[in-house]
Amino acid sequence: MENEQLTVQRALAGDQAAMRALWTRHAPHVDVVVRRLVGHDPDLAADIAQEVWIQIFRALPSFRGDAQFGTWAHRIAVNRTLNALRRTRRMASVEVDVEDDTASVEPEGERALLAASIEEAAAKLSPGARTVFLLHDVEGYTHEEIAAELGITAGGSKSQLFKARAKLRVLLAHLVDAPANTKFQPESSHVAPLY
Amino acid sequence: MSHLSTDRLAALGDEAPTPVEAAHLASCEACAREHAAYRALVTMAHEERGAIGIPLTRFEAIASALVADQIVVAPAARPVGQPARTRSFLRTPMRAAAGFLLLAGGAVAGRVSAGVSPLPFVRDSATAVASSSANLPTSIDSTNFASIEDARNAQLHSEARYQQAAAYLAEHDTTVAGEGSPVAYRSRLAALDQVISTTREAMRQAPHDPVINGYYLTTLGQREATLRQLNTVLPASLRANSF
Repeated sequence: MENEQLTVQRALAGDQAAMRALWTRHAPHVDVVVRRLVGHDPDLAADIAQEVWIQIFRALPSFRGDAQFGTWAHRIAVNRTLNALRRTRRMASVEVDVEDDTASVEPEGERALLAASIEEAAAKLSPGARTVFLLHDVEGYTHEEIAAELGITAGGSKSQLFKARAKLRVLLAHLVDAPANTKFQPESSHVAPLY
Repeated sequence: MSHLSTDRLAALGDEAPTPVEAAHLASCEACAREHAAYRALVTMAHEERGAIGIPLTRFEAIASALVADQIVVAPAARPVGQPARTRSFLRTPMRAAAGFLLLAGGAVAGRVSAGVSPLPFVRDSATAVASSSANLPTSIDSTNFASIEDARNAQLHSEARYQQAAAYLAEHDTTVAGEGSPVAYRSRLAALDQVISTTREAMRQAPHDPVINGYYLTTLGQREATLRQLNTVLPASLRANSF
């Protein structure tokens, strides 16, 4: 927004009305990132969101204006939330989760656990897989950025993402599957793959 | 070629297939179906990026923490002569125009958000609302302030109280017909967007005018509050991200 830089300048000068304006405009976006990464713990999410906003205003002098304020605040939200989750030891086993989180799901068994939304489905993933999926597919981070954030390799991030997608694909089958083509007749020599 | 592996199909959610893979996808309906499902999944995830939700935080709590951490100074404790707002004074005509804009824009937004005509000469239920303000002072008494800083603090306080009151009324006042319906919120958003557009134009001419700045910020706040209220009355499957 063209005048947001002015609002930021006023906030930097200690104008609480400007700070409130920044919060009002960006809290619906920033707080949802925190909520998404934290998962089903609203109290923890609220605590972390408050920390995020304090950090945003604390770091405001370092905002150079070469990116949108919302983008800059979003990065702080992700970074601060991941740090907070590490503190609560939720992220302590990320690497283990990468290896342990398997994509081999039982289609019929999982169908009983279909999720109503991507958020609900992601909550069924391991914390590490959920974090990589959310950072890459929802927040738009690259594997290199995720690797730097989580202290894993880019290859590990990719591996975890693909496994997360495979599980989500099953959990959200009713939302992502196109209507079946009843005219399709598989070739007899073509064995259907196991997904 | 054999079927694509699960990992490869998952990767193709946002990667381009090789020519060999593309040829296989063109001839194998099972893999093509899986490929389409993964791409739909990634698209769904991308669409989540723009989603918004009800904030987890309250600005008052954040402001208190910032004051406690001495990141900002509490308005009442700010030394005299060190204003929070940027000092910039406009020529008298521009200030008069800004004042008029404030009053006229506020009246329009208020009337439209109340579900009545924005034109004051169209007599409707808003007249009754307006008449209820007859007990307010008819003139502004400027002698109540000991200093510029005192007045400025009062202004900041009043802005905050105004926003709180507006948010409270928007949430609790059910006396206005149509209030709480998606149509009413959308109408309010449309009116607020017009006001924002007008104040933005005014800010181009007078970027440091505190009156226009304050009104612009208040309107932005009201717009976001309305957007959140709209989301609370929409069906769970619908969310308004932007307008």
